[in-house]
Amino acid sequence: MRLHVFELIRFSTYAELRAERARNYLGLIWWVAEPAMMMAAFWLVFDVILKTGGPDYLPFLLIGLTVWQWMKSCITHGGYAIWSNLGLVRQARLPVLVFPLVQMLADTIKFLYIFALLLVILWVAGYPPNLAYAALPALFLTTFLFAAGAGFLVAAVVPMVPDLRFVIEQVLTVVMFLSGVVFSLDQVPSPLREVIALNPVAELLDAARGILMRGEWPDWGALLKVSVISLGVCALGVFVVRRLSPRYPKLAA
Amino acid sequence: MTDTIIEIENVGVAFSAQRRVGSGKFWALEDVSLKLRRGERLGVIGRNGAGKSTLLRVLAGILVPDRGTIRRGVVSCQLLSLALGFVPYLSGRDNAILSGLMIGLRQRDIVARLPAIREFSELGDFFDQPIATYSSGMIMRLGFSVAIQAEPDVLLIDEVLSVGDAEFQEKSGNALKERMRQGHTVVLVSHAEAQVAALCDRLLWVEHGRSVAEGDRDTVFKAYHDELHLVGTSA
Repeated sequence: MRLHVFELIRFSTYAELRAERARNYLGLIWWVAEPAMMMAAFWLVFDVILKTGGPDYLPFLLIGLTVWQWMKSCITHGGYAIWSNLGLVRQARLPVLVFPLVQMLADTIKFLYIFALLLVILWVAGYPPNLAYAALPALFLTTFLFAAGAGFLVAAVVPMVPDLRFVIEQVLTVVMFLSGVVFSLDQVPSPLREVIALNPVAELLDAARGILMRGEWPDWGALLKVSVISLGVCALGVFVVRRLSPRYPKLAA
Repeated sequence: MTDTIIEIENVGVAFSAQRRVGSGKFWALEDVSLKLRRGERLGVIGRNGAGKSTLLRVLAGILVPDRGTIRRGVVSCQLLSLALGFVPYLSGRDNAILSGLMIGLRQRDIVARLPAIREFSELGDFFDQPIATYSSGMIMRLGFSVAIQAEPDVLLIDEVLSVGDAEFQEKSGNALKERMRQGHTVVLVSHAEAQVAALCDRLLWVEHGRSVAEGDRDTVFKAYHDELHLVGTSA
């Protein structure tokens, strides 16, 4: 049974990526072109027009957006996955966690492609590879756990209240600005800044930027704290999905 | 009894009537009991909306009863579902693997059966084309060819005895009958009385979410027809 579910997850992820590639004329190119266009838009507004950036703004923005987009797509795609597969849930006895997990894995594989491109850009722009890269796997694992936990929580609730979809995108946009994705949190005035810094996403982005731009090892204590939060969120998400799973087959697709 | 593999007693399943806050409950199954023995072929009859399909989904383990008890031995139950999980942009081959995994087969078993699936579905070179290019008949042929590969201990069938054109209908119907004769335990829901009569040894009659009668084929059929006749004349 376990092995069978593993095979299902693996093949579904492959199928998801393959179907997405086949859906558009330019296929794979969009995996990279879409985030690149978005980054260009933010760079245009915040650096060229508003001049809020500063000397290191381009790598700062690229790293922030790359990691944030990965988290966001895990939360939204994973979050809608049970809801959009209700037709299947009604017909087959499958562990419903499979659906969000497949979306998150597919988004993670896409992220790795984009991240590889990001590394090349950084090297060309004068931020060479360094020893601290060795901390990236641990950082990514924590990031994935956090995003997956949030995604499972959303996935658990959206089938019950599909109306939430209209709210989630907006909430995530606010979270993005409050996590220092597009502008540095140093610009935020003092009491508010300390509150925002408690946000685990800000912590994760900070660590990624430290490694990639300055060759700094992450603050292991802070990362450990975020890991514990992430594990908690993930466990809670899995628990809620499992708790609610008898109700999903009864919902109208 | 030792050969009873699934036993359900006074089972009820409720659905929310609407997706609105505070909407009432609707009991699709109110009070159904049945015993399924190993190797038997049980037919479920009853009018539209009697709860037959809901009952099958309970037996499949998809729906958890809201009341009553279900006792199940260590058996796998699989609802025969055509085109389960098919994705339009994938080839027939990839969809066959995906669907096969969803009906509980191991990947190596499906891959080993791909030539047989391709042969049975009569798709030829289309097998490696995206199924978005298929006609609906072709999709059903592929769906049936995959679904028939499932090998559960208990096969649950909801009105899918034949698909496609006349020729494929006969072929798929025969394949399914062959599966049923191989000694699998089968639960069949159908409106086609002739099929139920030909394929099942025992019948369960369900009406308004309640089991009315369970027993050997001829007795239950007779009671069912008497009732239908009674309703027919009084209306």
